[in-house]
Parts: sequence; structure tokens; C-alpha cells
Amino acid sequence: MRNIEPRRARWLKVRMGVLCGLLATGLASVVSSAYNIQVKHGAEWRAIAERQRQRRLKVQPTRGSILDRNGEPLAVSLDVPSVAINVAELVRGVAPKDVPALLDDAAARLAQALVMPLADVQQKLATKRRFIWLKRRLSQDETVALRALVDPKLGPRALKGLMIEGEGHRFYPGREALWGLVGFVSTDGNGIDGLEKAFDEDLRGRADQITALRDRKGTLLFGDGIEDERALAGDDVQLALDLGLQYDVQADLEAALRAFEAKSGSAIVVDPNTGEILAMASAPAYNPNDYGDSPIEARKHHGIADRLEPGSTMKIFTVAAALAEGKLKPTEELFCENGVWEIGGQTIHDTHPEGMLTPSQIIAKSSNICAGKIGLLLGEAGLYAALKRFGFGETTGLGIPGEGTGVLRARGRPWYEVEVAYASFGQGVSVTGIQMAMAMSAIANGGKLLEPMLVKKVTSSMGEVVREEIPVVRREAVPPFAAHLVTEMMTGVVEEGGTGKEAHIPGYRVAGKTATAQKADPATGKYDPDKWVSSFVGFVPAQKPRFVVAVVIDEPWVAHLGGQVAAPLFRRIAMRALSRYGVAPSGDLAKTPITFPLEDPTPKVYADMAAGMIDPLLDVTGPGGAVSAPIGPPVGSGLPANPANVPANLAIPAIPAKNIGGPNGEIPRVIVPEVAGLGARDAVKALTAVGLVPVLDGSGTVVKQEPAGGVVTVRGMTVRLKLEPSS
Amino acid sequence: MSATTSTKETPAIDEKPGILARLEARWEALWATQGSVDPVMAALVVGLIAFGVVMVYSASAIEATVQHKDAQFFLKRQVIYALVGLSLTWLISRIDYHRLRGLTYWFLGGVVALMSACVLGFGSKGGGATRWLAVGPVHIQPAELAKLALVLWLAYSLAKKGDGVKTFSIGFLPHLLMAGFLMVLCMKQPDFGSAVVLLLLTFTLLFVAGAKVGYILGATIIGSVAGAAVVRFKEYRWQRVVAWLDMEAHRQDLAYQPFQARMSFGSGETFGLGLGKGLQILYLPEAHTDFVGAVIGEELGFVGVVCLCTAYVCLVYRGVRTAFRARDDYGTYLAFGISTLFAVQALVNLAMAMSLLPTKGLALPFISFGGSSLLVNAIAAGVLLSVSRQVDREHLDRENDPRRSVDGSTGNVTSNGSSSSSSNEATS
Repeated sequence: MRNIEPRRARWLKVRMGVLCGLLATGLASVVSSAYNIQVKHGAEWRAIAERQRQRRLKVQPTRGSILDRNGEPLAVSLDVPSVAINVAELVRGVAPKDVPALLDDAAARLAQALVMPLADVQQKLATKRRFIWLKRRLSQDETVALRALVDPKLGPRALKGLMIEGEGHRFYPGREALWGLVGFVSTDGNGIDGLEKAFDEDLRGRADQITALRDRKGTLLFGDGIEDERALAGDDVQLALDLGLQYDVQADLEAALRAFEAKSGSAIVVDPNTGEILAMASAPAYNPNDYGDSPIEARKHHGIADRLEPGSTMKIFTVAAALAEGKLKPTEELFCENGVWEIGGQTIHDTHPEGMLTPSQIIAKSSNICAGKIGLLLGEAGLYAALKRFGFGETTGLGIPGEGTGVLRARGRPWYEVEVAYASFGQGVSVTGIQMAMAMSAIANGGKLLEPMLVKKVTSSMGEVVREEIPVVRREAVPPFAAHLVTEMMTGVVEEGGTGKEAHIPGYRVAGKTATAQKADPATGKYDPDKWVSSFVGFVPAQKPRFVVAVVIDEPWVAHLGGQVAAPLFRRIAMRALSRYGVAPSGDLAKTPITFPLEDPTPKVYADMAAGMIDPLLDVTGPGGAVSAPIGPPVGSGLPANPANVPANLAIPAIPAKNIGGPNGEIPRVIVPEVAGLGARDAVKALTAVGLVPVLDGSGTVVKQEPAGGVVTVRGMTVRLKLEPSS
Repeated sequence: MSATTSTKETPAIDEKPGILARLEARWEALWATQGSVDPVMAALVVGLIAFGVVMVYSASAIEATVQHKDAQFFLKRQVIYALVGLSLTWLISRIDYHRLRGLTYWFLGGVVALMSACVLGFGSKGGGATRWLAVGPVHIQPAELAKLALVLWLAYSLAKKGDGVKTFSIGFLPHLLMAGFLMVLCMKQPDFGSAVVLLLLTFTLLFVAGAKVGYILGATIIGSVAGAAVVRFKEYRWQRVVAWLDMEAHRQDLAYQPFQARMSFGSGETFGLGLGKGLQILYLPEAHTDFVGAVIGEELGFVGVVCLCTAYVCLVYRGVRTAFRARDDYGTYLAFGISTLFAVQALVNLAMAMSLLPTKGLALPFISFGGSSLLVNAIAAGVLLSVSRQVDREHLDRENDPRRSVDGSTGNVTSNGSSSSSSNEATS
């Protein structure tokens, strides 16, 4: 500044200095504010920002479908448009004085298009929010009317800021057939019941992966290689359920409910070899499409939620356990007290008074008294443990919310003697339909308690298999021989003279058990003479079970006996399953092989028999005598231990007891030969010699066999051999 | 006085008869090649522009993808603006800034014409205001040009009037009227932020030039009242202020932008989320233009903001130092005005990003996306560098000055302002 006088130049600098001081003050306030906002309160702001992003994510990726085993849809998401409005956008560029008029006009037109009360629309517009839902799930007409409002041909009259978004609306093509099982999805996309809840994680999709990819309008933005919104969609869940069978079972169940004027009921079809649930009906039904309108009581699935007294079906498991423990011999006869039994100050009655009965007859006749005695043979702890092993008193592993566990020890303490007797024939305990089905599956598959398999696999929306379910064996409920024995006994139930002959299916051997349980009045705690639970649980074909069917009818009015009410429904359902899966009839019943135990010294039960304690009818083969031993006329065939029993036995054709007692019962009883240590060729020779089918695994000498040597089985059964090279 | 310097260099022209030679001489005279520019300042300008390119990309990638299906849409444009801008900086820094005096009225007139065109309906709308003038593919924002034009004109006028600045009618009123005229044009667009910046620049330079503090205070009071009235009686502006005062209650509507901005800024915490990792750009409108400061706050944190502030402080410090050492008062006014322009814009923009001030739509100099803003700031930087170049020559002159030859302190005159000012006194 050489061109101006020094004094002025100095003043200039002073003034510039003053202004620099002002700027420095501004800088200080900016930096201190930055410190305040970022360092002191940064975490709070970050939390607010994250909440905002979370809220924007409410618009979910497309939810996965639920499919049946054949790929038929049970629940699918359809895009149903919803409309939201950005009010800031609506009034953008409009002079402030015109805004109220514009809002009124827009509200009137929107209310008309959406068939909404004008006041509601006005209220929503008055919020001035950038995102507010006007109406969700628009109808076709509403959508058309709305599109007309935003038509650019309207010029300035076209509404701005409207956002029509496809929201996934859940639709259930299965309607009533699936109710309770499938559940429901709330408006904001959460599964709130049934399968929708159980598999919510799989179905809902991966919203968390797209946190950074939604903008302020909620639009999905794609960055890192995500080109298709489908990649974010939920997985499809494929069930083991067969929708076709489900429809039929549901229809049959509902028909039965109407016929007997029953309150509710359930029917479950399970593949006992894998635990796959093929059908799972419950009635009365509700339509999951009308979730909100259905009463809560109607939404539950009676087969998994209801706890009911099982009644006589429990005898199967009591007898199986007693056989397995060696406390009961298959040919032993028990005295049934001629229908009246005093125990622990209480009296137990049988509907059909009997004297001496074999276990087969006890099951066929459904004697409470003898079942109670068998339970007492096991003892309190023994029976309780046995029933636990069959899965009672715990959830089955179905994984659907709302599944009941049932109660074994209802008073939370060990049973008294009389309660043991009651529990043996299914009174004073409660179970669920699915528990019955799974416990019966254990009998059918040779003693293995499986977890019910509801889902076969989960696939991503791109078609990749996310995971595949495999059968899960919880435990061995009873050893195979006990299961096979009980199976044979149960076939007597459906024969002439059994309580469940209505379940007989011509051409097939059916194993099952009826049950008729009185219901206790919750108010008095006493049994109500007019309220019953009728059930039938069984499987078919008995010799090679394919389907376990558990039918429970709650409070039938017209009739109440399990044999009358549930057995016919069992038959209908079983026949549908047999024909649907093409299971060939096995022909003449008399020719079908029947398992019957040969006496064998190894298991205790057979040791007792060998001692001739009860029954001399068996053709005793010496230990190690691994030979096929068709039974000739037994020694004492004409001399039954209890003559009074014989006519009863004779009245029931084709049940084991009769065959044993009969003069010409030719049963291919087989003891599995001990082949461990033999070479492969010798082992095969030994097994085929007695009519068993060897299945070899490995080579060399046999190191393990299943079933083990000495076990009694049926001709034609497979024996698995594990071989290892001999060193 | 600067007029004499230019005539001092031109006499040779008259002696040479050929028209070509005359043109050549004029061309030669145009370039002030004697000194060298302030290297620190040049480096800061280049650094800030480069940083701006990076931040614009980070802030705009998603918006660009959505709107233009090209993540680099804004990046490419900003790179071009940056290259053109740096070329202009270099070019103008080589011109003797005294040459600009002849262009002052042309420039001012052009800006007034553009702004009038904008206001009269030739402008194109953007963000609810007609701030843009489309000339073919180029969109010009005349308000940006107006800031530089006003600084150039004030520097020219104040230097010319000298002591007359102290008077009301000659020194004060005309400048205020011109600024007021430009402000009215700004307000018509409407662009309240630019109008305020124009007023601040006018007061700043009037104050520096020696206008009576009373006049300035009075004008400030009148201006404040007028401004308040404009805000209070323009309903939407008033609403916005009310919303800004109570952001929590209006975070969904009128205070959406300031609330989102502060949220972005705050969520950076101390060290930031990392470059390119900001998430608030999804919610922040104008993230790459007016609110790029909020994105910087989010991605680079408090540390990044302090670094940015330091860069601006250094730039402004070098600018003010240039003003202190400028060869003449014209250079001083230019350098100080331009430095103030940078400082005020940066401060206001950062304050807006933190919502310390209501949203006004001001660019962060050198960094915000936008051709007009970047080019105008680049030109301004060029002028500043040009002034700095002649500071150095003054030192050379001073060393050759016989009156200064005995003075041993010339080696450290650059060390502080006061010694510089004392040396100036001696040389003047």
C-alpha cells in the first residue's frame, strides 16, 4: 500500500485485524459446535440416524412361500398396492397462501378415490409428513382411481407426492384346509402364528443386509452386485405335508364332526419311517385369510394345542413297555376280575367283563382292569419312565408355536397305586394328538421315537437349497421285538370281536387302538357322563407300516365310543392315503407272516417262558438252534391253561392268541442266528437258511449285526451286517 | 496510484509504430511475470478443489445412480469443473490484477444483466427458486458471479475514492445502493443466503476502507430490521425459522433438512464413519451441494472437520497476509474481500451443516458440487494469487530502494504483519 499515506494504511490494517478477529470468533463457534455435536453428542446422533434407517426398512422384501411336498403353494405373497403420500412434495412450489386450498382439494379427491372418510384424509395431510400411509391394500378400483389422480394429463391438477407401493399381502390358497398350521402374517410382515412364525427367519428375507441401500423415499437402491430384489426375498419353505391328502383329511374330519355333532377334532397322518407329517387337519376350521375376524379359540390347531385324556390308546404303550421290560410275557394270562376291580379304595370297571385274558385279548377287548394290572407290574417309576420314553409329557419337536406338552403326573408328584392303574389305560394323564401319532409311529417303525418332520427343505428364492431336513430319532422307546409284538396284538383290535372293527380295511392289515375317554368337568374335577373324547390311533399296513393315522374327536354327541366315532374316520383317511400312494393290498390275511416270539433264553421274558411258567404252547427250540421253526401242533394245544379263555380266543380269528391256541397255527417264527465272527459268505448262508434277508455293509468278517443274534423276528425281515476286513 | 504503475509500463508502446508490435506489447504487459505467486496459497487451493472432488463423489454416488444410472455422473462433471477452474486460477494468477480494473464495469454489468434475466423469467427452476440460467448445456448461477463482481467493483471503487470513502454521499451511499440493487435481484430469485453474503462483503470492505462506523452500524440496524421483516412477513421463511428453532418438533417436515444435516454431522463422532461410508446421504437432500459439509462431518468426523477448518484458516490467513502486503490499496481491498468471501461462505456453510444457522443454500467454497460456484471461487483464487505475486515484487523493489538498503530487517519482514506494515510505511 505504497500508494496511500502510512497513517491510513495503518488504519486499514487495524480495521482488517478487527474483522479477522470477528472471523476468528465465528470459526471458534463453528469448531466448538462441531465438538459439541460430534464428540460430546455424536453417539446420540448416530443412534437417531440408525433408528431412522431401521424405520425405513419396514417395507420388507418379498416374503417366501410355503409349499407342500409337491410344490403346491400353501401361502404366497402377492403384491397388493398400498398408497403413501409425501405432503412436502404435494405442496412443493405452491405459494403458501394457496396451500390450505390445495390440501382441501387433494383431500377431497383422495377421499373419493380411496373411499375413505374425508376427515381422515385431511388429518393425514395436515401432518405435513414426508411419508405417511394413506391406505394399505388397495382394491383394483381404488388403484385405478388413484392412478387417474396422478395422470400427467391433468397438468397442474395432477397430485404430486403420491407413492403407490407394492406391499406383500399374504394369501393362503389352501384356505380352511390349512388353518392353524400355517398361521398368519401381520401387516408389517411378521409371522405371528403357526408355520409363519416358526419359520419367520427363513421366510422374511434378509432385510438386515440392505440397511445402507434404502434412500429417504424408502426405495431400494442397489450397489454391490445386488441386481435383483429377488436376491433379498425370503426363502421358500417346502413342507412334508401333502396338500391333496390334507384337503381330503380335512373334508373327512369335518364330515365326521358334523355327523357326530362333535365340538372339535383333529386328524394327523404321519409316515412312521421318517416322521414326515403328511396331513394335519383340525376342525372346526377358520380361514387364515380372515385371521383378524376369527376368534382366538378357533385359530389353534386342535391336534397340537388340545390336551386330552388319551384313554385306552395308552394301553398299547403300557403293554409295549411291560413286554420290553420283561414284566409281561406275550402269552401270559391276566385275570380281569370279571369287570370290577377294587383298588386303592376305588373301583375300576370294564365295559365288557372278562376273566382271564392274554395281552392280545386285553388290547382287543380293551380291558381297563388288566391294563391297570400291567401298569402295576411296571411300577410307578417304570410306567412313568416308559410313557416319557414314548414322548408324552414333552413337546414333540414340531416347532410350531402353541404346541402342548400334555401332563403325565397331573399333581406334580409320583402317582399313587390307583393312579398308576388309571394312567395305564390313559386316565388322569393328558396328551396331544401329535404325541399320540408320534408314539404310535414308534410302535410302527420298530420302537424308534421320531420327531415329527414338518418341513422337508428350505430353498432360497433363487432356487438353491438352504437346508434339508432329515429324520431325527429321539430315542428308542421300546426294543423292536416289543414293538413287533404289540403290533401283532393291535391287529386284533380291528378284527371281528375287537373294539375297532370299523377300522378294518379289506385287503390290508390294520393295527390300531380305539379309545373312549370321559372328559373331566373342569369345575367339579369329576368325569362328566355326557362328554367324551373318542379316538383311534393306528397304522397300516401292519406288517410294513406306511401311514400312522391319529384321529381324535372331542365331545361327539350322537355317539361316543372310539370304535363307532373315530374308527370309521380312521378307515376313510387310511384308505385315502393307501390309494393316493399306491400301497398294494397284501391279500389273504391268513397268509401274511405274523411275528411271534420264539422262546429264547437270552431275554428275560423268554427265559420265563422257557421255564414253563405260563404257557406250554410254544415250540421250544434249544439255544443256538438257529433254525426256522414252523410251529407244528403244540404240545398242549388241546389243553389251554384256562379253558374259559378258549372260546373268546376262537371268536377272534387271525390274532396271535388264537393261532397259538389253534391246532394248525403255522407261524414262521425265526430266531436271528448269531453270525458275528463269520465270513460274509457263511453269514449270508446262515441268515438265508432261516428266511432272513441279509444286508451287508463293508467286507471281511461280521463285526456287528442288527438285530442281534437270538432276537425273535419274522421271516423275511432284513438283518444288517457290518463287516470289516479281518486283520 | 495503481494507474500510474500501469502507465509507467506502457510508454514503450507509443514508441513502436507497428500495430502488431503494439498488440504484442499489450499482451506482454498483460502478464505480471515478475513475481511468483504465494506457493502455500496455491497449494491450498489445489488441495481443497481435489478434496472437493473426492467428497462430491462420496456424497453423490447413490443419488447419481438413482437419477442418472451413473454413479460417476456428478464426479465426472466436478472433475471437469475442477480442471477448468484450476486452469482459470493459473491463467488469472498470471494477469496483473490492475488490468482487471478496466473490466470491472463490464463484469458488473454482465452480472446484473444475467440476474435480471433470471428474475425476469428466463431462469430455470431448481429447488423452488429460479437461481439458474441455462445457456445451452451450461447452467449458470448468476448469484455466485455477483459475489465476485461486487468484490471487484468495491475494491475498484473504494481505491479510486480514497479518503472520499469517509463521506456519506460519495463513499457510503453509492456502494450501499449497488449492493442493495444486487441484493434485491438475489432476493427476487429468491436467494436469501447470497443476499446476506453480499451485504456482509459490502460492510466488510466499507469498514476496511474507512467508512464511518456509525454509518455501517446504522445501515446494519436498518438492514437487520428489513431482513427480519422480510423473514417475518414472508410466511414460508418465517415457518422455516420457527421450525429451525424447534427442530425436534418439525423434524419430519420443515426442519427435515437441518435435522437430517445435524444428524449426519453428529453421527460422524470423533473419527467419522470413513470416506464413502456415510449412510445419511440417503436421507440428506442436496448432500453433494449445500450439505457436503454434513457429509464431511459424517464420514471424516470431528478430526476431518478440524482439518478442513485448518485448511480454510491457512488459506484465509495467506489471503489476509497478502492484503496486508499488497502493493496498493486496490490489491488490499481485492485480497481482503476475496479472503472474506471464502471465509464467510465456509463458515456459513459449515454452520448450516450443523444447523447453527437456518438453511440458506450456500456452497462450501471449492468443495460443493456446482460449476458456477467452483469456477467463481477458482477465479477469485486466481485474482488473490495475482495480488500475492506483486507482493513479492514489492520486496524486490524495496531491497533495491536506497532508503531501505541500510535496513537489515528486510530478511524477516514476512514474519509478522506489524513488521510488514512498518516496512510499508517506510516505503510509501
